[in-house]
Amino acid sequence: MIHPRRGPSPAQQVTPSTPRGRRRVVRLAALLVAPAMLAAACSSSSGSDSGSTGAGAGAGGQTSAAACAPTGGKVSLQFWTWVPGMDAVVAKWNAKNPDIQVAVKNTPAGNAGTYQNMFNSLKAGTAPDLGQVEYDTLSSFRLQDGLKDISGCPGVSDAKANFVDWSWAQAQVGGPGVYAIPQDTGPMALFYRKDIFEANGISVPTTWDEYAAAAAKLKAKGIAITHFPQQDANWFDGLLWQAGAKLFDTSGDQVKVSLTDAKAKQVADYWQKLIDGKLVATNLQGFSPDLYKAWNEGKVATWISAAWGYSTIRDNAKATAGKWAVAPMPQWSAGSKAAGNWGGSTTAVLSSSKHPAEAAKFALWLNSDPEALALANEKGGLYPANKAGLELPALTKGVDFYGGQKVFDVFKEASGNVDTNFTWGPIMTDTNRFLSDGFTKALNGQGTLGQTLDTAQTQTVSALKSQGINVAP
Amino acid sequence: MSTPSATDAIETGSGDRTPARLETDPGKARQRRPWLWFLLPFLVPFVLFYLLPIGYAVYQSLFKIQRTGGLFGKSEQVFAGFAQYADVFADETFRQGVLRVLLFGIVQVPVMLGLALLTALLLDSAVARLKRFFRIAFFVPYGIPGVIAALMWAFLYSPQLSPIVSLLNDVGTAPDFLGSSLILWSMANVTTWTYTGYNMLIIFAALQALPQEIFEASRIDGAGGVRTAVSIKIPLVFPALVLTTVFSIIGTLQLFTEPVVFQTISTNVTSGYTPNMQAYAVAASNNYSFSAALSVVLAVATFILSFGFLRFTQRRGEAL
Repeated sequence: MIHPRRGPSPAQQVTPSTPRGRRRVVRLAALLVAPAMLAAACSSSSGSDSGSTGAGAGAGGQTSAAACAPTGGKVSLQFWTWVPGMDAVVAKWNAKNPDIQVAVKNTPAGNAGTYQNMFNSLKAGTAPDLGQVEYDTLSSFRLQDGLKDISGCPGVSDAKANFVDWSWAQAQVGGPGVYAIPQDTGPMALFYRKDIFEANGISVPTTWDEYAAAAAKLKAKGIAITHFPQQDANWFDGLLWQAGAKLFDTSGDQVKVSLTDAKAKQVADYWQKLIDGKLVATNLQGFSPDLYKAWNEGKVATWISAAWGYSTIRDNAKATAGKWAVAPMPQWSAGSKAAGNWGGSTTAVLSSSKHPAEAAKFALWLNSDPEALALANEKGGLYPANKAGLELPALTKGVDFYGGQKVFDVFKEASGNVDTNFTWGPIMTDTNRFLSDGFTKALNGQGTLGQTLDTAQTQTVSALKSQGINVAP
Repeated sequence: MSTPSATDAIETGSGDRTPARLETDPGKARQRRPWLWFLLPFLVPFVLFYLLPIGYAVYQSLFKIQRTGGLFGKSEQVFAGFAQYADVFADETFRQGVLRVLLFGIVQVPVMLGLALLTALLLDSAVARLKRFFRIAFFVPYGIPGVIAALMWAFLYSPQLSPIVSLLNDVGTAPDFLGSSLILWSMANVTTWTYTGYNMLIIFAALQALPQEIFEASRIDGAGGVRTAVSIKIPLVFPALVLTTVFSIIGTLQLFTEPVVFQTISTNVTSGYTPNMQAYAVAASNNYSFSAALSVVLAVATFILSFGFLRFTQRRGEAL
């Protein structure tokens, strides 16, 4: 869900008073349980590694697409999620559905250990029926035979039209089947300091060229136009998505990796120029207390971020209330309206579920029912993937922190302008790690973002091969 | 229990010798059994949580994933011999990570142990006051959990938030503690701060165990405090120094907490910054075999370095 790598942004939304504390606690918890999870990884996989994982469970997940009938009787389902307040939403379901009772387990964010936990429990046969999985991680789950094809379950195929197009396409993970129900998305836009732009006579940039020109003017005033977050490779993915880069082709038997795609190179070269010109802050990590301090002190003037980012600024740059505004993302060619997407997640039915029809029914309700969507938005700050959800009262009115601007109108428009054909690679955890590692060098002047793409290309190809995946030359 | 079996043995023993021995064995085994019970509390966890996981990691490192039927087809683990190890040694990230921790160790371990030795000698010296207080004060950092310590230092280093950095900026210019050239040494400072007191305590305990007559003798011979320390105390606590060095070598190669915590605030820590971090990241992306191979190579390297150091110092001891 939400912030793809760190996830704790919803926590910040519900607990504006202690966002930093919460984040720290989440991160700390992740660190403390890490060794335990490694141990669990060792012990739980011992029985199944050499055969049953791939072969046995896989066959079921692959072929039983059509057959999905309710098992009937009283059913209880397990659901792992890290959206704050999800238990309140589920309580509503449980009150209405005495025969399908759902138990929520609150977990740390996916990449903070929960995915690993899910993979381990899939091997151990103790996995929940439903789990929260981000779009870019769905492939990794399919590679481990972790997802159930729910396209045959009652109501699923008919729901397609209700969801933002690209989100449904990604929930299909390249296949004819459907592996998850979209929950929320992160259409991107430009958060900018209206006051700083006005004081310096800079108009809001509508193209990337104008953005670079604005950066140069701001630099003269000692202000960085934005920060380049080394750990947020999926932020960079969002920029590539906007540019129309085709990074992967997974349609054939062989996976084609083209991280060095001309459009991707264009984005990389552009940001490299900003780094070379010292126009962006290179020493501020994304979502760090350092960044928030810089925001509060007006040292950083924009953030190209997702819909959920509105609360990250609101909760962590309180001193700047009323000074921010939101505009559409700058464009590669004047007059176009392309937007990228950063984050968002799905409710997936895991392959070990014995009640896929009931699980799918719940997942559909959770992400379509107006009451459920409203509550998830209020408690967890979710920006719904359901088209009807975009009309929620909370998402159509002005937001105080942004001087009353109806910021979600911008995001709604962006949501419609996100390229629907963008395809994630099969192992985005690896690819994003390789990108982040390359960013370090680029930010230090020991390499360039273009070289980062080259290296990530080679590393991704060899990581794919190590997973036994055929790679197109 | 033992009495009847003993008499059995005697009775049968009076007849033929060979069967008598066979008869006595179970009885004697029962008598010997108590040692086993005393060992169990150690042996069971040792086997379950130490030998088995290591054995399993070695086993796992010999496999690779094979997939049939396209991208999302069936996957299985097939035997691959030492292929993963070949990949480990060809891996540029791993090589850089190892070199980085070695560089870290070569500088940090001597500095830390030098400080530990110095503080231990000072505490042990006759003129020291408030010994108990300083002993605890030096040791306190070790009692702070590693993650907390790293977080605290990260804030002290942060260019935006640190009071120290802003103070340095006021009087001149502050170094970028989290920049690419200094961050490794900023981490070294954290580990030094944490473990100096711990190592000091080991050396101090060794000093305390030395017989007092030696020092009386040296005093009579006219040796002062410094001379006694250099010529008598240090050579006598040499085994303690060797021990702390071995511990430190092991700890250095396993560097993990500090870089992982610093990653959240600095843009200069990669996912394979240390070999341990790399093994962790690789495991998190479901490549267990490669991760296992990385871990085994790291364990073997640690073993060779620490035992190599032990052998080296023992030889040196014999030569002296």
